[in-house]
Amino acid sequence: MSENHSHHDHDHSHPHDHSHDDVTPKASLRDKRYWQSLEQWSEDPEFQKMAEKEFMASPLKEADAESGWARREFLKLMGASLAMTTAAGCIRRPVQKIVPYNKQPEEITFKVANYYTSVFFDGSEAQALLVKTVEGRPLKIEGNPSHPLTAGGTSVRSQAHILSLYDPERLQGPRKNLLNKTKSNFESIGTTWEAMDDEAVKQLNKGGVVVLTGAINSPATRALIGDFCQAFGAKHVVWEPFAHEEVRSGQKASFGGDESVPFYRFEDAKMIVSIDADFLGTWLQPTAFSHGFTKGRKDIKNMSRLVVFDSNYSLTGANADIRIRIKPSQQIDVVMGLLHEIVVKKGQGNQGWKSTLEPFADVASKLRMEPALFSRIADDLIANKGKSIIVAGGLPTLTEQSAQLQMAVNALNSALGNDGKTVESKSGLAGLTASYADLASLKKDLAAGRVKTVIIHKTNPGYALPESFGFHEALKKAEMVYYTGDRVDETGRMANYVIPDNHTLENWSDAEIGRGLYSISQPTIRPMYDTRSMQLTLMTWAYLAEKGPKRIRDYETFHDYLRAFWREEIYPKAGKGMGFDAFWNEALQAGVVGTQTSSSARGFTGSLGGAKPSSGEGYEIVLYPTISLGDGTYSNISWLQELPDPVTKICWDNYVSISIATAEKLKAKQGSMLEITIGDKKHKLPAHIQPGLHDDVLAIAVGYGRTHAGKVGNNVGMNAFQLMTISDDGKVIASGMKADVKNTGLHYDLANPQSHHTLDGRQIVLEATLKQYLKDPTAGQHKHHVFSFWSGHQYNGHKWGMAVDLNTCTGCNACVIACQSENNTPVVGKKYVMQGREMHWLRIDRYYVGDPANAEAVFQPLMCQHCDNAPCESVCPVAATVHSDEGLNDMVYNRCVGTRYCSNNCPYKVRRFNWFNYAQKIDKPLHLALNPDVTVRMRGVMEKCSFCVHRIKDGKQKARLENRELKDGDIKVACQQACPTGGIVFGDMNDENSRVSKMAQEQRAYTLLAEFNAKPNVAYLAKIRNNDQESRGGHGAHGEEHA
Amino acid sequence: MHHGFRSSTSSPLMTVALSVCALLTAFALTGCRLDMGWGYNQGYSPEQPIPFDHSLHVGQQKIQCQYCHNQVERSKHSNIPALSTCMNCHMVVKTDSPHIQKLRDAYDAGKSIEWTKVHMLPDHVMFNHSAHVARGVNCQTCHGPIETMQQVYQFSTLSMGWCVNCHREPENKAPLNCSTCHQ
Repeated sequence: MSENHSHHDHDHSHPHDHSHDDVTPKASLRDKRYWQSLEQWSEDPEFQKMAEKEFMASPLKEADAESGWARREFLKLMGASLAMTTAAGCIRRPVQKIVPYNKQPEEITFKVANYYTSVFFDGSEAQALLVKTVEGRPLKIEGNPSHPLTAGGTSVRSQAHILSLYDPERLQGPRKNLLNKTKSNFESIGTTWEAMDDEAVKQLNKGGVVVLTGAINSPATRALIGDFCQAFGAKHVVWEPFAHEEVRSGQKASFGGDESVPFYRFEDAKMIVSIDADFLGTWLQPTAFSHGFTKGRKDIKNMSRLVVFDSNYSLTGANADIRIRIKPSQQIDVVMGLLHEIVVKKGQGNQGWKSTLEPFADVASKLRMEPALFSRIADDLIANKGKSIIVAGGLPTLTEQSAQLQMAVNALNSALGNDGKTVESKSGLAGLTASYADLASLKKDLAAGRVKTVIIHKTNPGYALPESFGFHEALKKAEMVYYTGDRVDETGRMANYVIPDNHTLENWSDAEIGRGLYSISQPTIRPMYDTRSMQLTLMTWAYLAEKGPKRIRDYETFHDYLRAFWREEIYPKAGKGMGFDAFWNEALQAGVVGTQTSSSARGFTGSLGGAKPSSGEGYEIVLYPTISLGDGTYSNISWLQELPDPVTKICWDNYVSISIATAEKLKAKQGSMLEITIGDKKHKLPAHIQPGLHDDVLAIAVGYGRTHAGKVGNNVGMNAFQLMTISDDGKVIASGMKADVKNTGLHYDLANPQSHHTLDGRQIVLEATLKQYLKDPTAGQHKHHVFSFWSGHQYNGHKWGMAVDLNTCTGCNACVIACQSENNTPVVGKKYVMQGREMHWLRIDRYYVGDPANAEAVFQPLMCQHCDNAPCESVCPVAATVHSDEGLNDMVYNRCVGTRYCSNNCPYKVRRFNWFNYAQKIDKPLHLALNPDVTVRMRGVMEKCSFCVHRIKDGKQKARLENRELKDGDIKVACQQACPTGGIVFGDMNDENSRVSKMAQEQRAYTLLAEFNAKPNVAYLAKIRNNDQESRGGHGAHGEEHA
Repeated sequence: MHHGFRSSTSSPLMTVALSVCALLTAFALTGCRLDMGWGYNQGYSPEQPIPFDHSLHVGQQKIQCQYCHNQVERSKHSNIPALSTCMNCHMVVKTDSPHIQKLRDAYDAGKSIEWTKVHMLPDHVMFNHSAHVARGVNCQTCHGPIETMQQVYQFSTLSMGWCVNCHREPENKAPLNCSTCHQ
């Protein structure tokens, strides 16, 4: 290729200066600064071979060619017989029935979707949703654009939780466990609600009742549990694995007042420092935070700066302008060091802290970073007083010094005047009250025999607690355990009764989606099985026992309770003077009522005395949740298991991430089995060699290793919650534990699709530093003069196109799952992912840039580029992929014969081939989640992104029926709808006022591989990194940080 | 490929035997039945559980198509009317007919009638009724003289060629993209 390239004419008229060849790519097709895997970076011959071969697996085994009866022979005969049968010419018609409604439901138009407002809550974040239902069947989750905090954004889990509704392994009725005396066996039989209720009332009347739940975000449910506790003298204990307790107790210790989680206004912050708080990926309310964070970066000239001190390579770290790798024990050094810079060196804030801060004078050298850079971060913080944020939290910060870390963070935010401005103490979610301390005291009560009955709801202690904590043994002392889970999972096996709760999409409920912002979650389908909502269960028991406040006994359904609760509690706060019925209807219609409460500044009253500088070498464990699985609740959703991690890109497993230097020291390769020893316990995990990791870090994801999640989720990876230690007073250590590690010499295969679709180092991702961008608004892109031998198509009406802003894309992957849900994309499983047969129409490529030891990352969503001169079209022998007069590259499945020439000829590697009849393998009733507007593809057919052509047609038809012109924004494709940051824009390129054509006209816009003249209709906008570098350097050119 | 396929090594006898086998299998699989439209189901007219007579309702009584198929202007699919629509009239009209009694029994029991589907497109074809109705295409253009049919039959071939022939007519200004029907 490189010889050909010299024939290109290069456009020297654009502002880019060619003299800085170390700065911008030479006129070479290979841009080596960006790489996708270490094998690619090191130009490993094996990798080169694979990249050249491009497609991993041959469809034919070598043995096929050896045997005399080869496939070609068979095809020849098949050809003859097909020709003859068409001459005979007839089609066998299967008789199909049409069964109309008995009475036409008023709201249902056949095959026309209705959208119902609903809410998704995963334990720490609540999202307002619109659930698309067709003829009473929920099909797709969309974000609700009227949610002020996310503006219609969703997350991978909210998109995917529709599959949990149709999970074939859901319980279809209540079950009773026939436990033996020691509760060591497991045998479950069906039971009836009546029998279970009768026994329950007798049991509850004995007293000693505890309701153990996950975080409850629904105000009405909280009230109901309160009523229930009042009725039976019960205690409500809230616990779930990601408790955010460190943040809450840190707030209380620092400022007094109530324990609550604050809300962080990232959109108002110009300088953001995160110490292991993965706020864009997994911490607190990542979707709302992603929306806020990118809002503060859209005006590039005034964009915010994000500095991340990262133990694990988190999604937030990947988005950082400046990322510094640390190990968990150094978290306290970072914050105290920053305080030292600000208080001692710059003389700002409380000078009384000076002596406490003295041990932290030389943090920069400890972190092996330039003192000037560390000082610069402190300067930036001071310069942006009241407009900065320091955050720390989540599993990676649960070290010995987690309390001191929170205190120091609060001191810093307070000293910088952020409290009450960017940190709003009263605006976080009220429901986030989970507590390990409360769980520990429950364990004590259980062990002492003080608890007779435990009702467990929406939390899974059987899985997410380490054996060493002893909760499992203590729970056996309870006479009776009720569990409301939807399957007999790890906790279900310890319960006497499993009484399945309705799925959230089958249930009435409400939610506080931000403090003061209320939402109602409506049922979108009648309960599919013989299940009963937890709320109604509690109401039934109170009614039968004739105990408790009037409202818990009087109402027949939770809907009635909810409505009454809203009339009493929510309506007076958010009613705005309208009648209650109108208010209720508005809540249902709009999905969000009320306004988010604001907060004022508080005085810091804590003390920094307890913080000790880190010391010592040695490996430290970091536990972290992944964006796909979180705490493991949704492990049985295949979409989530097959979703590659945004940074490591590995799916279907967890692993231990180690740095390159550590791998060399251990003589470990990718997939080497490592044995990790913590205390006296040994664990085995495959190694993943992760660029940009501290050499002492062993990072392991939790949420894997479920044993009773179901067919999909069982025994995927290893349960890293077992590595945590919880003390008897509830102090959690999840990171910073000292560990030993050795290479066992065994190997384990990890599935990593990132190396599959390599684009071989051409100008694919375009990135510039802010300084570079201010000088050169094209972000240093390399323009090519191209000549064409195509006459070109005419687009007289619409011409559809897309723009993707790499500067707002955080790589959260919501679009990938939205696409999968919308387009019936199959899941292929680990084995076939390893063979390069994954089916995602939209993937997010992650590129590393710079020195591997300290690499930065860039994300790029890649889907079919719908080229004007599409290379795939010209090679299809059967015209199965052709151009539409609106610029779409149409794929006609029924014409496709599976030559795969198109995929071979696609420079963007976005075409996917159906090797098997995946659709036939879908277990019922999961097939109910298939979108009827999109053809379900069969074996032997090529497929790819269609720009959601069915949505385009629906949008046009809707406009036509309403007798109006199609407006810009009428059509939203699935990935665009799901994006919490507004990074994807779709529209008509022929309309010069459309958002998409304006974005495509921006100077930092570019198309991929423009020099090949395929003329893609997807414009990418260059990413801008707000660090102090003059430009993006090449290998090892990171002047400010030395690894 | 690595070695290529050896195509001439199998014995001629085996080739003949397999050809015969393949032919027989192909005939057995297609389960032939000769129809008016070669290869399509033109003329297909299954018996229905209730012999609903379009010639009576539409031809004689002049009931508008959209009275029963009321969603055809709004939906991709034309709806078969709910039983409640039938009962609008048949609460009082011809209540002594055994067919109407069958209908009323089903209606009262909250059940439905299982009609046999006449017009059927493959799953990869997306036909949109509302788009055609909005453009002023008559029901009869595709469904034929439905007002004369005592028992509904498939009037057109519903083949791709038949669709495209109409879309191709310049006065129809209809799109001819593959994704117009296949998505």
